Amino acid sequence: MSQPTNVSDDLLWQVVRSNNAYLIKRKTGGGAYFSRDPFNLLNKHSRTHAGFVNSKAVSVQPSGEKGVSFSTKKEGKSNTPAKSLNTHKFKSGRSNQKVYKAISDNVGQKSYRSDLNLYAIQRASAVLDSQRAKADAPEKKTRGAKARKTQA
Amino acid sequence: MVSAKKHVAIVKKHPKKWHRHQSDTFMCVPSAWRKPKGIDNRVRRRFKGQMVMPSVCRVQVERANEWVQGRRATLCTIWEEAEPNLIGFGSNKKTRHMMPSGHKAFLVNNPRDVELLLMHNRTYAAEIAHAVSSRKRVDIVAKAKALGVKVTNPRARVTTKA
Amino acid sequence: MSNRPTVGIVGADGASSGDTHTLPAVFSSPIRPDIVQTVHSGMAKNKRQPYAVSEKAGEQTSAESWGTGRAVARIPRVSGGGTHRAGQAAFGNMCRAGRMFAPTKVWRKWHQKVNQNQKRFAVASAIAASSVPALLLARGHRIATVPEVPLVVASSAVKGLVKTQAAVTLLKSVGAGPDVVKAQKSRKLRAGKGKLRGRRYKLRRGPLVVYSPETDGKELVRAFRNIPGVETSPVTALNLLQLAPGGHLGRFIIWTSDAFKALDDIYGSTTEASSYKKDFLLPTNVVSNADITRLINSSEIQSVLKEPKGYATTKRTGVQKKNPLKNRQVLLRLNPYAAQYSKDKVGQTGVEHKKPEPLGEDFKKVLHEN
Repeated sequence: MSQPTNVSDDLLWQVVRSNNAYLIKRKTGGGAYFSRDPFNLLNKHSRTHAGFVNSKAVSVQPSGEKGVSFSTKKEGKSNTPAKSLNTHKFKSGRSNQKVYKAISDNVGQKSYRSDLNLYAIQRASAVLDSQRAKADAPEKKTRGAKARKTQA
Repeated sequence: MVSAKKHVAIVKKHPKKWHRHQSDTFMCVPSAWRKPKGIDNRVRRRFKGQMVMPSVCRVQVERANEWVQGRRATLCTIWEEAEPNLIGFGSNKKTRHMMPSGHKAFLVNNPRDVELLLMHNRTYAAEIAHAVSSRKRVDIVAKAKALGVKVTNPRARVTTKA
Repeated sequence: MSNRPTVGIVGADGASSGDTHTLPAVFSSPIRPDIVQTVHSGMAKNKRQPYAVSEKAGEQTSAESWGTGRAVARIPRVSGGGTHRAGQAAFGNMCRAGRMFAPTKVWRKWHQKVNQNQKRFAVASAIAASSVPALLLARGHRIATVPEVPLVVASSAVKGLVKTQAAVTLLKSVGAGPDVVKAQKSRKLRAGKGKLRGRRYKLRRGPLVVYSPETDGKELVRAFRNIPGVETSPVTALNLLQLAPGGHLGRFIIWTSDAFKALDDIYGSTTEASSYKKDFLLPTNVVSNADITRLINSSEIQSVLKEPKGYATTKRTGVQKKNPLKNRQVLLRLNPYAAQYSKDKVGQTGVEHKKPEPLGEDFKKVLHEN
């Protein structure tokens, strides 16, 4: 079933922009708005990034301990949710550069959502970086009066 | 930990707290700011040497004083001549709500909330909500470390004061 | 609506049964969250029961004001002596043990009449919204495994469904499992006094099963009623409070095929009146195509549009004036020689002063003449 004429992405955004299940509103920090939508590459509440509203959207998520899963929405297939996604999982062994290249080929080169190309790569990079083990921060050196006190 | 994005210097035009007029004189007048409303109130009328009200900037007060002393022609020219970025005590929009580190605070209750900041770790820092237990704080701090998100209160509840 | 799209009918195993049905006209109704919200807030008030404080509360003394001249406030005071209560202020809302301000009355206007046509409009709009996956996601429904939206299950799969176990299996096989699990896990103790008043837990809403009472029978209601979050409704009596809980569009609805087929009969179309609802025509869309981007970019519109007024280089009026003495770029625009001037340091070179030539003898002679 194709999308009926009484709805469009623009209309849907107007309906859901004030309140939806993915939206996170905070009063601290000047009133931050974020989105939990998996198809939102920046977790940013905006028309461009609201993946569940757009007929074309990109998702980059961690898959398991290591590796990235990358999905795009099939255009015109939103009414069949079970078959609406193209998903590919990049295994952990693959070099990061190759992962970015593959994502870029699918998002930017094929003119799927070239406006999201950079964000998709940035997110993939951030996800891969988050999966690396981090070194502990060095112990803080005591200085001044405190240091003299402990020495004595 | 990722440092915050480069930003213009944070300028607080009035770093001191605002105290209510005469809260230093009377015990029964608490210090929380209230705008003076009295018909004769000297603070309200912005007399020279009085405390400044949050609603008006010092530069404006000085110029108003000059005007009172007859050195300036009309009040309207004073308002026009005042530098636009000096009206009031509000902070620069670019640095408003910013902590000295250059981050803005985002309240988190669980590790899932930290994930929201994955792409914003140079503009936002996580602040763990006060009701979160020490056990769950450990998870949040670990998640934040993995994602490179700064936590403003990583030691609260987790370490005890010696 | 001649070429309406068709919807596949899902069998008991979740696979397509091969049958299809054209989408009923009600699904093309306008999506109007504003109407749905106002109708919902009116309808939600109609189940309320009156409450009020006691008529007598705070008024059960014979207090009288002492009048002026006693150096106390003129509020009524309890008469008599021999007890602490005597002489205390009474009645006023500011008094201890006084009545409240504007005591609540049972004759408050509890219920709200909502125009029938508005209610029908709202229901049609909510049904239309239930076929939009983005709105289901925005309501928080888990529909990743659902084969198709709107989800229509063959009536043969529902017929004779009496056991809850079988109902759960059916929900799982048609892809509604995650949504049921989500509702099940969301059960939390209610905050406040409602706990003591028969509303102990709160939980999310799961799918709504809509059936046709005449052909599907009513046994399935008993099969589904103990599954947390799952509700049932006969297609002849759809309720906005179930179709758009909280006034938010996009409830996940599982239609039985008989119920789905009955929709055209019940709601009629924009031109033909419904056989169930007197004088009711489905609301029409104000714009026949809601895709504004496509409309604007269409050749019909683009061909009649005027050329844009001005280009990137056109001077824009109404922008902030820049001081060319402070803003170098503006200065360069006004004075193309400014760059060369500063390069040559024209402004910094001093005026050359030569030594004055000594005055000649002739000058002196003329000066000292006579």
